[in-house]
Amino acid sequence: MRRLPVVLAAAAGLAAAPPAAAQDSVFGIRGLGFLDRSVSGKSAALGGGFALFDAESALNPASLSAWRGTAGWAVAAGSNHSFDAGSGSSSLSATRFPVVGFASAVGPRVVVAVTASDYLDRNWSVQQTDTVSPRGTPVVASDQTKSVGGVTDIRAALAYRLTGITLGVGLHALTGSTETTVNRTFPNDSAYLAFTQQLVTNYSGVGISFGALVSAARRFVAGASVRFNGRLRASTADTAASVPLPLEVNAGAYYQPVAGVLVTGTVGYAGWSTASDALVAAGQARSRNVWSVGFGVEAAMLRIGGNLAPLRVGYRWRQLPFPIGGSPAIEGSPLSEHALAGGLGFDTAGGRATVDLGIESGSRTAGALSETFTTAYLGLTIRP
Amino acid sequence: MSAWRSAVVVGLIAIAGCREQLTTPGRCPELCPRGNVQLADTLLAAMDVSDTSVRGYVLVREASYLMASTLDSLKSVMLIRFLKRDSVWYPDATDTAYAGQQDSVVLSVVIAQRDTAVKQLRLAIYRLPALLDTAATYASMQPYFTDPFLVDTVTLADTVQSGTVTFRIADSLVIPAGDSGVVSLGVALVSPQQTVLTVGSGNLGTTPPNLAYFVHARAPLDSISKAFQEPPFVSLFVMSPPPGQPPAGVLALGGIPTARATMRLSLPKVVVDSNNIVRATLLLNTTAPAGGFARDTFTVIAQPVVRDYGIKSVLWPDSAVSGAVRIAQGQSGPVELDIAPILRFWGTTVGDSTPRLIVLRVYPEGSILGSVSFAGRAAGAAGPQLRVTYVKPYQFGLP
Repeated sequence: MRRLPVVLAAAAGLAAAPPAAAQDSVFGIRGLGFLDRSVSGKSAALGGGFALFDAESALNPASLSAWRGTAGWAVAAGSNHSFDAGSGSSSLSATRFPVVGFASAVGPRVVVAVTASDYLDRNWSVQQTDTVSPRGTPVVASDQTKSVGGVTDIRAALAYRLTGITLGVGLHALTGSTETTVNRTFPNDSAYLAFTQQLVTNYSGVGISFGALVSAARRFVAGASVRFNGRLRASTADTAASVPLPLEVNAGAYYQPVAGVLVTGTVGYAGWSTASDALVAAGQARSRNVWSVGFGVEAAMLRIGGNLAPLRVGYRWRQLPFPIGGSPAIEGSPLSEHALAGGLGFDTAGGRATVDLGIESGSRTAGALSETFTTAYLGLTIRP
Repeated sequence: MSAWRSAVVVGLIAIAGCREQLTTPGRCPELCPRGNVQLADTLLAAMDVSDTSVRGYVLVREASYLMASTLDSLKSVMLIRFLKRDSVWYPDATDTAYAGQQDSVVLSVVIAQRDTAVKQLRLAIYRLPALLDTAATYASMQPYFTDPFLVDTVTLADTVQSGTVTFRIADSLVIPAGDSGVVSLGVALVSPQQTVLTVGSGNLGTTPPNLAYFVHARAPLDSISKAFQEPPFVSLFVMSPPPGQPPAGVLALGGIPTARATMRLSLPKVVVDSNNIVRATLLLNTTAPAGGFARDTFTVIAQPVVRDYGIKSVLWPDSAVSGAVRIAQGQSGPVELDIAPILRFWGTTVGDSTPRLIVLRVYPEGSILGSVSFAGRAAGAAGPQLRVTYVKPYQFGLP
């Protein structure tokens, strides 16, 4: 019965997980959207460098072996963006829930888990004003095109612990939808009525991931994961299309030179160029293969309520696969992102709950366009 | 802190922090959607496949006003039959008073509209046969608008533009014994210039004329007085020339009795079966300058028909599903009436089953003098046309 609250909280979290991203970006309007980072508060504060070993991140199924009992966790991320479009700047904000999950140890070696994490963010809204002359007389037209939704990655995973090595496997179901609405108004001429058209697109796909953690030396752990994805199928009421999704490979390590200190890093690769032909067929620019790097340091220097509260700092950089401003005939500007991160974590409720706080600040750049962002992470883990 | 409490606190913080602001100014083409909103415009010249106009929707006796006119083009006088005045009343539980000496008689009317540029208006009040009825005509009433039947002539102050005015008319206004307490009066307008005056009739929420008798009781209760207030039993006006049905091929609207026009439209399926229409303008041409009060304006509206029962067709009551245009008295030439909401209504599930039929009428019907007539489809190129501006289907794109 003591596990009931956690089970209920985890179930509610899974049910409420929105098909949206941890971070929204104005650049999500291109390609398949904005590629999400399904990391925990702890991994976010470490620049993503620990994501491969983090049981609460959805990158490596082998990392689930960290759980020794039952656990539920959820992460909330609030983000502020600032973007200058030349024709006007805008401040954007969004709150998302990047990862929620529930795990339970089944025997001394096996852990099973279910997670829901963001995969593609397709939340964006663009406002344009133009002057048109449908009847020869100029009239101001204001257009807003808005997309709400995205693709969520539901993962059922298993980790198996052996001596010196842990293996994991995860089955992924991609699901979600977007509701795209285009709305035109004529603010200065009431003779013209507003126009609205809406399209709901449903997404589905599958994938499988494998992971491993190896204790290669004392206080040194190496890890790797690989994920094979199928095609992402997009369908509306009267049409459908599909896009092949990439092979994703991640590798990393962490090292504890002394007790209470952790140094970690992860490198990732995703072969997004496999989606190029499908995107070109849809009138978009070619996607590219992308790399990501993240590393961080954690030091247990602080105590909160008698418990150690590790301080974390990190840095990350990544390429994003969908160029900005391109078309099938024109190569767009590649988009990349980097951020500095920091945070801390502390236990509460007698060690049965952990709160992880993280904040990162960075920018995304594509040619002459750039966006700055600050994202705050709040993670809660309950181990009844 | 328990795990439960931690979860609640963290959850509240997360929920309280939820906010969304996603809209950015478009920087095109880099950060704009792939699709464009494209407008197209087309003129449907032959969409009016049949039309007609009928007068008589609001009759003279149902109008909200009584009209007196001295125009050469329209002569009109008011006819009012007041309710019977009692000759007995009961000042207390034990006394019965009988009407004796009549001290004064006051006629009240509520001015609805007048041409304020015309001064020195007077009302000539005539005695009419008591049992006046609605079959009276302008011609049949003329013998009574002569000096032998003149009761009084009162002056309407030039400063009075609207509202209630009272006139003390001849104290000697007697009620002949044979008329059983009933008085009918005719009111004609006397003016140095041609003009029109309207007063409330009591219909459609307006205040009717009123006749007040101030009387003393007979002896021995002759110290007691009473004011009898008598509203109309019948109030109408008659005019010359008498209104007739609109000529064939003309879409007449308004006037009194009011006229409406009906147009059956034949529209391409693509126009009706979408909500992409942003503007649809009915292009009409007047056949004569619009009528009505000098320098006044009135509204012409278009409404869709729900059930087609000919001249008694049922109109869709939602005012949002309509079109309207203001017409000025004396206006002539082309008139543009936007009816996009009606075309959109026909594209809805509810509107899809309704006939492609619209009714044109003045608004508020029966309460204004305004009238206008448009060329019907028989006029060929001068007949009604429809100009439609619509959005081409938006290309969202996949994925």
